[in-house]
Amino acid sequence: MDFSYSQEQVMLFDSVTRYLEKNYDFDSRKALVASDEPWSANVWAQFAELGLLALPFSEEHGGLGGSISDLVSFSRSFGKHLVIEPFAFAIMLSGAALAASANPRAAEWIEKLASGEAVAAFAYEEGNGTASPELIAMTAQENDAGFVLTGEKRIVIAGGDADVLVVAAKMCATGKVALFFVERSTEGLSTSPFTTIDGRSAANIRFDNVRVGSDAMLLDDASDALDRIIAQALIVLSAEALGAMHALLDITSEYAMTRKQFGQPIAMFQAIAHRLADMKIAYAKALSTLTYTTALANSGAVTARDIHVLKGQLGKLGREIGESAIQVHGGLGLTDELNVGHYHKRLLAYDAMFGDHDYHLRKLGQR
Amino acid sequence: MNVEFSPELEAFRREVAEFFATAPTPAIREAGRKTTSVFAPFDQCMAWHQILYEKGWAAPHWPKEYGGTGWSVEQRFIFAEEYRKADLPPLLPQSLGMVGPLLIDLGTEEQKAKYLPPILKGQDFWAQGYSEPGSGSDLASLSCRAEADGDDYIINGSKIWTTYAHHANRMFMLVRTSTEGKKQAGITFLLLDRMDYPGMEVRPIYGLDGFPEQCEVFFDNVRVPQSGRVGEENQGWSVAKHLLKHERGGGNAASPTLMRYLERARAAACETSSPFGGMLADDPVFQRDFGELEADVTSLSHLEKLAISGHEIARDPAFPSMNKTINSELVQRASVMMSKVSGVGGLARQLEALRVGSNVEPQGSEFDLITMPLYLNSRATTIYAGSNEVQRDLIARSLAAGA
Repeated sequence: MDFSYSQEQVMLFDSVTRYLEKNYDFDSRKALVASDEPWSANVWAQFAELGLLALPFSEEHGGLGGSISDLVSFSRSFGKHLVIEPFAFAIMLSGAALAASANPRAAEWIEKLASGEAVAAFAYEEGNGTASPELIAMTAQENDAGFVLTGEKRIVIAGGDADVLVVAAKMCATGKVALFFVERSTEGLSTSPFTTIDGRSAANIRFDNVRVGSDAMLLDDASDALDRIIAQALIVLSAEALGAMHALLDITSEYAMTRKQFGQPIAMFQAIAHRLADMKIAYAKALSTLTYTTALANSGAVTARDIHVLKGQLGKLGREIGESAIQVHGGLGLTDELNVGHYHKRLLAYDAMFGDHDYHLRKLGQR
Repeated sequence: MNVEFSPELEAFRREVAEFFATAPTPAIREAGRKTTSVFAPFDQCMAWHQILYEKGWAAPHWPKEYGGTGWSVEQRFIFAEEYRKADLPPLLPQSLGMVGPLLIDLGTEEQKAKYLPPILKGQDFWAQGYSEPGSGSDLASLSCRAEADGDDYIINGSKIWTTYAHHANRMFMLVRTSTEGKKQAGITFLLLDRMDYPGMEVRPIYGLDGFPEQCEVFFDNVRVPQSGRVGEENQGWSVAKHLLKHERGGGNAASPTLMRYLERARAAACETSSPFGGMLADDPVFQRDFGELEADVTSLSHLEKLAISGHEIARDPAFPSMNKTINSELVQRASVMMSKVSGVGGLARQLEALRVGSNVEPQGSEFDLITMPLYLNSRATTIYAGSNEVQRDLIARSLAAGA
């Protein structure tokens, strides 16, 4: 057993952290979220420059063949800086889905994704709030020319701006979940864009008899691939969540040491001290769960059960830490000027996506 | 990063499992299944200790030159996992886990030569005399006095919560030898090589579960030799703190026991009716609650594995307190889960059926037999070894110090 990051991973973390510390302070991020831009094209280009966008793809796909622990190493820093760029969605989910296909057109898209030339969005969620492919209602009807897609996808991160959508739909003929790619210019798409509570660009997208060619199919039976792809992406999203939790623990304990009430730092009051202790305990649980699960995934041994533990734990613990951070900050914690609430919103969004903690914990208890 | 154990370690696991499948007597196995506390039934526990000693496995965490196994931390973890899977009674911690390691670190050569071999062999059993009626987690406030008189100390006062003192033949204790200065100063660490000194009286305390596990020990002008002192006079606080590290950090994995509890609870839930019809294991609320507990136990197991692999989290000064808080609260939550699964099945008070070797059939299943005593006994986990309130103070202090 070895749970440490390699020297290369530490260097990767350091270079991403250095870049974000210089270029992604809280105020510039806030201005970015408030702007008309979905995210920063400059930052995205810099991620490409640092090799992050090519990292998870295999060398045959022109990627760098990075491991899951490589991805986890720097994703913690994304969480600390509340990065709104859609790395986990465009690269980990959409990119991985493209990479799971033997379709030659998928390889063309991967090349563009890895270089930062194009962005992909993962059109999966339909409002059930689940990671399970069984509940997908969007249909794909096969005809002579290709497929007709009908249904609605929701909270598609980067969905309003992506060049290509990776879409999960149920095949009318077989009842199996298949994956397709749909170019933005395709007729029949109606997109309502919005910003999520945690500052990401997203869209709800209706598909009204959207016709795609037969070469738009990525996988005709994608359930197993989806489980695997979503598992890997959830590890990366969990690393972002852990970065946010760590930031909240730091910010809150420092605040409690300096903020005085009744003549002494509020950290001296046992009620506050014990809340801080519980935050640190929650963080230790989250850290060890993510680290262990990452090592399991690195060894190719991660199971559905491990992912339920990870997402269930980090979703629950993240909310606990966020809620405590706001409570300790008092009224200040409720203001938009302070970063605390923004971290909390990132953790709420993390918890809600791909099955919240109640879902994953119950799945765990169902075995 | 990787999680695999080497083929050598997997071979070691098979060797351990094989021994556990064959060596324990039926009574020892029964004692393991009927353990409803940190402390297993005494007689079978000591018998098992002696069998492990013969095998050379009684003290995996001791240095090799004192009779330890010389195992790596990974081997010790595997040993602990297989131990729990086999439902064997845990060895009592006071001798092997507390006073033994303390003497190895701080005892004189004479003390080591006299006391370590019988501890290792399972011949001696030591009671721990720390707490007093007025000193719980505020241990520094203790007042049981020892006055020097020639080569001896004369002890007056009392100790409480001395687990299994009624079975013990030796005792280690903290006494007040001075009232000068800070309350932490003036404390001395003493070894008593008998429990039947004139003026010494042990009185068992019956717990909520109906068993005498704890005791009160009274001292009325008890004369003991000064040669039993560990460290200098009035320096006992640092000796005790050293020992607490063994007690709290332990290096003993708690998650394998907890996993075992959960397996037993899940198996029982598959055979217990839900008040809403069907089986309890199929009830959505049960599943959610069980999953939450299982996730937390799994996280503790991950934390323990990170710690044994030398991850930096174990070097955090608050780690022992975090570890103690997490595992003591999980023991309680697991016991709540088990008693919920038993439900009304756990309401029968059946002390006789719980006794190892008893021919009284339990009311209900063997699972029902243990859940209520386990639940009641485990109320202690967040109180002993420094209450969890005290642990949380220490954790918060580490945050203030920037750890």
